[in-house]
Amino acid sequence: MLEIIENNWLLFLIGQYPHGPVGGLAMTLFLAVVGLSLSFPVAIALALARLSSHRWLRGPATAVVYVVRGLPLIMFIFWTYFALPLLIGHTVGGVATLLFALVVYEASYLSEIIRAGIEGLPKGQTEAAKALGLGYFPTTFKVILPQVLHNMLPSLVSQFVSTIKETSLGYVISANEVTFAASQVNNQLMTQPFEVYGLLALTYFTLCFTLTSAARWLERRLAAERGALGIQPA
Amino acid sequence: MIRFEAVEKWFGQHQVLAGVTGEVKRGEVVTLLGSSGSGKSTLIRTVTRLEDIQGGQVLFEGVDVAGRGVDINRLRQRVGFVFQAFNLFPHLTVLGNITLGLKRLRKMPKAAARARAMTELDRVGLADKADALPSRLSGGQRQRAAIARALAMDPDVMLFDEPTSALDPEMVGEVLRVMKSLAQNGMTMVVVTHEIGFAREVADTVWFLDKGQIVESGPPAEVLDDPSHARLRSFLSRRR
Repeated sequence: MLEIIENNWLLFLIGQYPHGPVGGLAMTLFLAVVGLSLSFPVAIALALARLSSHRWLRGPATAVVYVVRGLPLIMFIFWTYFALPLLIGHTVGGVATLLFALVVYEASYLSEIIRAGIEGLPKGQTEAAKALGLGYFPTTFKVILPQVLHNMLPSLVSQFVSTIKETSLGYVISANEVTFAASQVNNQLMTQPFEVYGLLALTYFTLCFTLTSAARWLERRLAAERGALGIQPA
Repeated sequence: MIRFEAVEKWFGQHQVLAGVTGEVKRGEVVTLLGSSGSGKSTLIRTVTRLEDIQGGQVLFEGVDVAGRGVDINRLRQRVGFVFQAFNLFPHLTVLGNITLGLKRLRKMPKAAARARAMTELDRVGLADKADALPSRLSGGQRQRAAIARALAMDPDVMLFDEPTSALDPEMVGEVLRVMKSLAQNGMTMVVVTHEIGFAREVADTVWFLDKGQIVESGPPAEVLDDPSHARLRSFLSRRR
């Protein structure tokens, strides 16, 4: 086991870089961070559309969220892999494909978290903003969302953890993240799948467990803060 | 300044306002009394369309607030509203709560907005709390900050929806004092309250609401000391 680490730790961490593309754990983290960051504004737009009083905004947004949440991510990745090149007219690499699929997928889930957060805020907040004469956009972006996103921090970290795990599906379309790196090592060694995939599991677990713990800590802190503020979670 | 004309409001099958007619004149302080559920809070909420109505009209300076072409956000800037639960924005400092409207709606530069906010905070005696978050304030201080927030927009009229009902008894006084000095400075005010003493001392006119109607109105001395309506008599006797 130690020998596997000694010979392959660099491949695990950064793929074939600098002799080839960046990969491994670095790529996994890149995909999760960028995927989540890009999905964030999309999620906000989806959530606002779902809460809109305009039917032609609410309808499509609701449809997107329900369809995406009703499909397994792997299927979604396949669809993106085959359909995206047809749509834009040229082939797309594994990483870009995975990123696209992740953004749409994560945005749907995040939008539900954001929507719940908005609906959970005391009604008085919107009313106070309205009473001042603030229109929809300043009310949403200066009063409502800052509070919602603050309350959402723990869920956001949890979502980050799911995203990290979901990037492993990139393996099927040869996006060279850490699972892909592990399978390369396994193909080389041929005889030690338990050790290789054990290492992979340990890597994911360490990363995700750390983050989940951070989320729990954040949640406790926010709960304490909210208690001090006397804010009811409505 | 504000005219209610046969205002009707339904929550589903339940009628909350059953044809309210009345007028608030410029510079006047009107106090709305009535047991809970009598429709008094709902009535003042119709002025800035926090509640829509199903019948009648609410006129602000002669203009139907629900009329076509009325910019409701512009109208709301002219009507200050103070809530029972304060509704300060918890993520902003006291100062930030006040400057938000000034910067966004009055397009004031930061320094001017800050100066304006400080003037209002001074007026309600909270200048030293400008940089505190609302969570660090007592209930009375929160309500005074909320009043300052509304005043900063330079409203023509101030509406108060049970401003002291959520406060501990020892904090009621400080809020009422601020409101009283406002009234003395000529602010037009409509105050929904259970504070009979405030009505007696400060109001020009008292409206007593029952089952969605104004059943008695007039100067406080008349209405409060010589109630003709049985409901009002029992309402008052419970609050002595």
